[in-house]
Amino acid sequence: MKHSVTLTIGPATFRIGSAWGQPVAQLRALYAGYPAPPGAIADFTVRLDPAGPLRRWWRPSARIAGDYMLPDAAPMALHHGLLAAEMGMNLQMALGWRRHVLIHASSVEKDGRALVMTGESGSGKSTLAAMLGERGWRFMGDEFALLDPTSGAIFPFPRLVSLKNVAIGVMQDFVGHAARFGPLMQATPKGDIRHLIPPADAIARMQEGAPPALLLFPRFGHARAIRPVGQGEAFMRLTQASTNYVACGERGFTALHRFVSNVPGIALDFESGAQAIDMIDDLWADLP
Amino acid sequence: MLLRPLDDLVLLYHRSSGQTHMVASPVPEILAELGDKALHLEELRSALEQNYDLGEPEAARAELSQHLGDLCALGLVRTT
Repeated sequence: MKHSVTLTIGPATFRIGSAWGQPVAQLRALYAGYPAPPGAIADFTVRLDPAGPLRRWWRPSARIAGDYMLPDAAPMALHHGLLAAEMGMNLQMALGWRRHVLIHASSVEKDGRALVMTGESGSGKSTLAAMLGERGWRFMGDEFALLDPTSGAIFPFPRLVSLKNVAIGVMQDFVGHAARFGPLMQATPKGDIRHLIPPADAIARMQEGAPPALLLFPRFGHARAIRPVGQGEAFMRLTQASTNYVACGERGFTALHRFVSNVPGIALDFESGAQAIDMIDDLWADLP
Repeated sequence: MLLRPLDDLVLLYHRSSGQTHMVASPVPEILAELGDKALHLEELRSALEQNYDLGEPEAARAELSQHLGDLCALGLVRTT
């Protein structure tokens, strides 16, 4: 490909190629603080190809391609190319990663132990992880928590935080440093998107795992409430939230069973980020 | 087959199919009793009766038969 960049995020290395310079330049700028291991061999390749013979120049739009592809994925406008690259990287992880059980969850760490938050899009898990990452916790990831089948630890995948819609304004107020934000991409297939560079300690410690201590199922937009989640429900919801549980076979089964047997599960309804942070601090303080 | 307890449920990983099942009593007890053995319905009932109160034999056989039918449909038990 004409333009390319190699990025290492947590345990995974990606080579992203593009027919256009702009998405690669944006990735280079936003991932500039990530360590680049010399001679790293890419686990996955992502390509942004023109969607048709003329689409490199005329109404330029990119098709996400790579080692793993969704054949019927709609092309995206070039000015959303950064989002397309991020989506391509997520797709490779979701469909191709086998070294860990991949849980669609955000995670943060404090006192050497990890808090894992899983839920559907809009549940607030990404924003909460990003907020906690600015409030004394180590941000580990907003999209995938990597569960190590051998040790039972959660490993980080601290890619750029993908802020959507109202979360953009919330985090701009919360973080303050404009230099940590990527370009605002309006009216993408996922709504308005703006990326946030994780805190420096999240990037510096991106190879460092932590045993899970608490599993939360956050739900934004509901009156404050806390409910224990039984092990059976937690197991079922985690298998639904995992993109590679079936592919991991018996290792995945044993790892998730150990996870839900050892880690309390709590459903947490909240109306604002500040309220959720208070609730999480209380729950964390009460852990044995 | 792997059986692992969770709260009041039992998780079951079926190695042959790679499928995970969530089951409740008396299914884990039935599977544990069967193990790799082939048992007639009455043999299974009497073996379970050693450890559990199954009630009237006829009703217990009917219930066991229903469970075995469900387990056959899931591919966890085979009739020979």
